[in-house]
Amino acid sequence: MFEVSQYTFLAAMVALAAGLVLYLVSVFGPRGVRALSFNTGGTQETDSFASALKTAGRYGTILSVNAFGFLTASIIARWIAAGHGPFSNMYEFSLAFAWGAMGIYLYFERQYDLRSLGLLVLPIALGMLIYASTVPDDIQPLVPALQQSLLLSVHVAVAVGAYGAFAVGFGAAVLFLIQRKKSMSWLPERTTLDEVGYRSVMIGFPLMALTIILGAIWADIAWGRYWSWDPKETASLVTWLMYGGYLHARVIRGWRGDRSAYLLLLGFAATAFTYYGNYFLGGLHSYG
Amino acid sequence: METVGSQARVPQRTYWETRVLGRMWHFFTSVRLALVLILAITAAVLAGTLLDQAPPSVRSEPAMYAQWLSRVEGTYGVFPTKVFDFFDLFNVFHTLWFRLLLGLLTVNIIVCSLNRWKGIWRTVFPPRIRMTDAFFQHARFNARYVMDEPAEAAAVTVKKGLKHARYRVSTEAEAGSVALYADRNRFSRFGTFISHLSLVLILAGTVVGGIWGLSDPEFIVPEGITRDVGLGTDLSVQLEHFTDEYYVEGPPKDFRSDIVILKNGEEVKRGTVRVNSPLSYGGMKFHQSFFGQTAVMIVKTKDGTSLYDGPVPLAWQTREGNRPVGSFTLGSENLEVWVMGPRSGENDPLVPAGEMRIEVYETSSGALRTATNLTQGTEQDVSGLNFTFVREGRFTGLSVVKDPGVNIIWVASALMIIGLLMLFYVPHRRLWASCKELPDGKTEVRLAMTGQRDSQITAEFERVRQRVGKELRGRHAEDDRGQGGNDV
Ligand code: HEM
Repeated sequence: MFEVSQYTFLAAMVALAAGLVLYLVSVFGPRGVRALSFNTGGTQETDSFASALKTAGRYGTILSVNAFGFLTASIIARWIAAGHGPFSNMYEFSLAFAWGAMGIYLYFERQYDLRSLGLLVLPIALGMLIYASTVPDDIQPLVPALQQSLLLSVHVAVAVGAYGAFAVGFGAAVLFLIQRKKSMSWLPERTTLDEVGYRSVMIGFPLMALTIILGAIWADIAWGRYWSWDPKETASLVTWLMYGGYLHARVIRGWRGDRSAYLLLLGFAATAFTYYGNYFLGGLHSYG
Repeated sequence: METVGSQARVPQRTYWETRVLGRMWHFFTSVRLALVLILAITAAVLAGTLLDQAPPSVRSEPAMYAQWLSRVEGTYGVFPTKVFDFFDLFNVFHTLWFRLLLGLLTVNIIVCSLNRWKGIWRTVFPPRIRMTDAFFQHARFNARYVMDEPAEAAAVTVKKGLKHARYRVSTEAEAGSVALYADRNRFSRFGTFISHLSLVLILAGTVVGGIWGLSDPEFIVPEGITRDVGLGTDLSVQLEHFTDEYYVEGPPKDFRSDIVILKNGEEVKRGTVRVNSPLSYGGMKFHQSFFGQTAVMIVKTKDGTSLYDGPVPLAWQTREGNRPVGSFTLGSENLEVWVMGPRSGENDPLVPAGEMRIEVYETSSGALRTATNLTQGTEQDVSGLNFTFVREGRFTGLSVVKDPGVNIIWVASALMIIGLLMLFYVPHRRLWASCKELPDGKTEVRLAMTGQRDSQITAEFERVRQRVGKELRGRHAEDDRGQGGNDV
């Protein structure tokens, strides 16, 4: 099972990288086509080229769906091999993060048909996998504090859902800020991007609240204190508050639009900080 | 945000009431203030996350705090350390200003909720049924049909369609004209209150815990010993046995303490405490927190009078050498004895395995009398007393907690999640319809829906329009103009 998990991990990485290339082609290709048709005066050739680009996009999506499938398989195989969910070290957690980001991204791609968003989210997921491949992937037995498999599996599942949603929100905010008044044809409209950003927070904000609550329940069982201002706890609180700020900014005159989008960027910075917090913060969550 | 209708006679108010209270009230109704407070709290929490925070034990003693400060000066530099200390940034979460921010947020939430209550109540328990023609023309989502039947009949059909779309419908009829109001998930409006007030409840839970809670995070019990819990309780705990197990690879597998809880000396509960499974008795919970070794010591005078006989928990670590260390006092001799064990996992030149090092100090002057090593099982003469290091043992470190606020926290947490789910996933949808007979005997049917423009509402309006349209088409209506999602 451990080998299955390793092979599917590699497969996911390859599928994701290849998918990303096709996304690039399908998003930026049309500009090339326009340049081409301008030069040649527009011919059948360019038409068939355009349809090839559409196909590229479709295959890109198929690849990223596959990558998500491989990731799921990898996590399940490792779960079986280790006997517990993906919460015991950075390797497992990075895999889970990539899984969450891909799952939520694919949901949005299906809903809104925006591959340009994938140009930002796929690299994040790929980066997670590349990072995972640099840390030890051996299965370590659980230390006593982590012997709380069900609660921690749910805690992590919920957390990566939130992180994935925030990654999507980040992507939407970046595109929103690129898409200035002057409309760029390769990007969706600002209203759509704004909506995607908001809806990602609609998913991420309750999940993040639940993550914090589940963490508090665990801390209460393990240490008898539901909150101890542990760095990882406070970092997730910062993240959650940041998105709380975003939700209010959206209903305040003068804060809609760009400023709200910047809050989404800050929120994702806080998310990344929470995620990597183990390294430079220590505390109860340091996995060693 | 709320549209207040005409109000009957306003009672006379004093200058104080209208000016000062009124302004303060208005100040706290602002969402902009909420944003400012949320961002300020975020910044404060971030500072508390990034900067080292002085532990409570250090803060309570000025000398230790000064020492602690001089240590962090190494990390942050002398001047920044002064600045951070000036703003209490090494103790963010317990400062007055942090609590003040939370207090302001609480007031903000409460005032804001009260202020919005009436408006929300009116959208839920309704609402206006009859709307103007202009409303139908200008509504963001609207549709229009013309039918060959009287208004009452058309209204029955529209109502059927709306019911099929799972809307709750109320009607108001006049001659030749029927107005309809339809909505679903109306109670979700209260999701805003539930999620906001759950925050207040969480803060209340922490306050309750702070006032009525008890805790001793470092309650040490050596094996075979019974110790009073203190904290104003009549409980004591006896440790029968402590076990630590390791995986063959090395990392710890299990820490467990078999303990007996006694009340006024009588056994009331017995059980095993593990890291993830505490034992509780009468609201008091006992958690496995840490453990360590003890040195069982016997001290006698030359003539054989026993001065000390029992385990000494080596619960501390020496700053240099990282050796486990503990102490006990010999009151009658005015002496304090420190016992130091070997550094774990290696050959310790100062304290070889099987030995304990002791340092005997005079309690009053603090002067070192003797320092020597004891070999296990042999009686040795130290400063005119007979010391024996009998054997090594274990102690358990329990965290003893009673927190009556914690249930409030869990209830509030559940409310938070429920409120957010209501708010985001079962949104209140409202729709108005009007069936009006035209001069030519036909009936004009109009639908209008309000809300922020987004693809979800667009899809919802489309769904309703199709439902209603299906009913209407069954009765030979012409679909005159349908504008799902277009701005007018
Ligand atoms: C950390 C504190 C707070 C959190 C986590 C929080 C959470 C939320 C959430 C999740 C929403 C829903 C946003 C949406 O529907 O898009 C919201 C809306 C709102 N909040 Fe807060 N809030 C907080 C503090 C406050 C405070 C202090 C006020 C008082 C002014 C306030 C007033 C409002 C208002 C007026 C809305 C709009 C409600 C609506 O559209 O129905 N919030 N808040």
